[in-house]
Amino acid sequence: MLKDFLVLAGQSIMHRRMRSWLTVIGVFIGITAVVALISIGLGLERTITDQVASVFGVDAFIIMNEDTFGPQAHRPGGAEEYALDLSTLRAVEGVKVAAAVRERTGFVQGPPRSDGTPLQGFFPVSGLSPELITEFESFIGELEVQKGGRLFEVGEEAVTVLGSEIAKRFQASVGETVLVVGEGSAELSLTVVGILVPVEEDEESRGGFAAGMNQSQNQDTIYVPYETMDLLWGPAKDVLITVVRVNPGEDVDKVADRAEETLNARGSEISAVTYTDISEVIGTMTSTISAFLAGIAGISLLVGGVGVMNTMFTSVLERTKEIGVMKAVGAKNSHVLTIFLIESGLMGLVGGIVGTLLGLGLSAAASLFIGRFFGVKMAVVANPTLILSTLVCSFGIGAIAGLWPAWRAAKLPVVDALRYE
Amino acid sequence: MPLLEFKGITKDYKLGKTVVRALRGLDLTIKEGEVIAIMGPSGSGKSTLMHIVGALDTPTGGTAFLDGQDLQQLKERQLVTLRGKKVGFVFQTFNLIQTLSAQRNVELPMIFQGIRKGERARHARELLTKVGLADRVKHKPNELSGGERQRVAIARALANDPEIILADEPTGNLDTESGTPVLEMLKKLSVEDGKTVIIVTHDPDAAAIADRIVRLRDGCVVAGSGYEGEGTSGVPSAGRDVEGSSLEPSTLGITTEGSDSHA
Repeated sequence: MLKDFLVLAGQSIMHRRMRSWLTVIGVFIGITAVVALISIGLGLERTITDQVASVFGVDAFIIMNEDTFGPQAHRPGGAEEYALDLSTLRAVEGVKVAAAVRERTGFVQGPPRSDGTPLQGFFPVSGLSPELITEFESFIGELEVQKGGRLFEVGEEAVTVLGSEIAKRFQASVGETVLVVGEGSAELSLTVVGILVPVEEDEESRGGFAAGMNQSQNQDTIYVPYETMDLLWGPAKDVLITVVRVNPGEDVDKVADRAEETLNARGSEISAVTYTDISEVIGTMTSTISAFLAGIAGISLLVGGVGVMNTMFTSVLERTKEIGVMKAVGAKNSHVLTIFLIESGLMGLVGGIVGTLLGLGLSAAASLFIGRFFGVKMAVVANPTLILSTLVCSFGIGAIAGLWPAWRAAKLPVVDALRYE
Repeated sequence: MPLLEFKGITKDYKLGKTVVRALRGLDLTIKEGEVIAIMGPSGSGKSTLMHIVGALDTPTGGTAFLDGQDLQQLKERQLVTLRGKKVGFVFQTFNLIQTLSAQRNVELPMIFQGIRKGERARHARELLTKVGLADRVKHKPNELSGGERQRVAIARALANDPEIILADEPTGNLDTESGTPVLEMLKKLSVEDGKTVIIVTHDPDAAAIADRIVRLRDGCVVAGSGYEGEGTSGVPSAGRDVEGSSLEPSTLGITTEGSDSHA
């Protein structure tokens, strides 16, 4: 019987084609906006988490100051230094490799220049674990040395790699030595083993993920092996970031928790951040934003619903006699109610289908646009849950909007309805 | 036992603050298979009577039995069932649903009774063939002539095989040429299928096919309230409205023929 009512309702909609379409337009504009915004939000989230994943890999986590990342973060995204005992971290069960970056400003004296005097002054000195270069290239970006030089290797101590800017100012070349003065009376003569390739302006965005390591600074920095920093400045209290890769098959979240516990028990104040943590934060952020935008778009959906209601009232009024006839030939009130509800629900549903298609199209177009103008390959997300719930929801909006008119139609006294001209 | 037995029926309407007394103690008995013409000036209560007989409305007072059921005791649901199964309506303005084909219009009452599609379609085509519209099943009402539309309406009225056909001015919107087949068809329903046909009309031709004419005035039956043999009154001819007059049956052969069928 429901199928027959569906046909009856459909025929009535098709009979008033123009008005039905106008009503449907009212619905699908709202649906389009909601679907497009949510899809774009989901696409954005997917894109960001994909990028995070490509940098991280799923088997790695980073260690940051506990103020920098996490629910109590005071300065989200900013770099704060922290104390770290790398050997303790390496001993944590499940850790395969750990590499860290620490940075200080130190007094540096270059080799003699062409006029015979060396340049000296305070410069940033950055200690990199060699494993960072060999194991975590994606984190620090590609460190490329000029021809004739090399990066340092595990176990080396008295070596340095200079940024291209500082090498130019020191007039230093591979093989010469620079003197770095640390805390107290500690000082070391370091052999220059490599000089970084200067970065082209338009390549700036190629930089690494790690905090505080943006490219413009890189070329002003004197890079030394991480362990060398210990010799100059003692145990690390100035670590910017630590990257850890876990053994194959280990649960990265569990290892991260273990590492966090162990280190914090020894006086560090750090957070171990995994891919899942970052994804969650990004997810919360993007879904808050898209929920807000979709809420605004939802207003137009409400307007669409009122449009359906209006159309249904008109329809009930002009079909008063028809309702009377249906009742006279044996229709129950519930039959009339159902027919009208299906009719308004159908208009909502058609609006939902058109709106979903348009919304997905719009989000695809947006990703194309973003891809072209911002150079990011944005994912297009056609979330089945979103599509299904949109369709159910749009039928619901139609039906709810039709509830009152349909109820009025069902309650019409049959004699009055038959008399209606 | 008569099919329909009304005693002292009253029906009051509220029209704003005034109460309209549409029926004022109406008596009427109809037996199965009769063709009844209900006549009377406008405002005499014809339509109201029709609505009550068709279970579209309930009386304010009096006793009303239809096929043994007390109309006043029935709940809305039961009234719906009653008018769905026992009564078929034919209206002056046809009241076909414009968006549906002739066949679908005839199927409509069956849809509400939950009859299955194949069965419905077959029966609808059968009925349309019976009213001579076998070649019009797919036509929409606006593609049909007035007479054809009214015949579709008759087919629709027959959809659930009701005992009573209620026709409200069935020829009111038709010329004589297209009205005559409609009347013949209604008469045939009584003669061949034993249906009780009640026609509310101003049309003397429509009255002429009736076995009995019930005359209303001011909400009361003034003539023809009971069927022949029941003892209340005879069969008055058209044009007279004197209560209790027992005149000869109509001179039209068709009436005599109809009288025979239930004699």
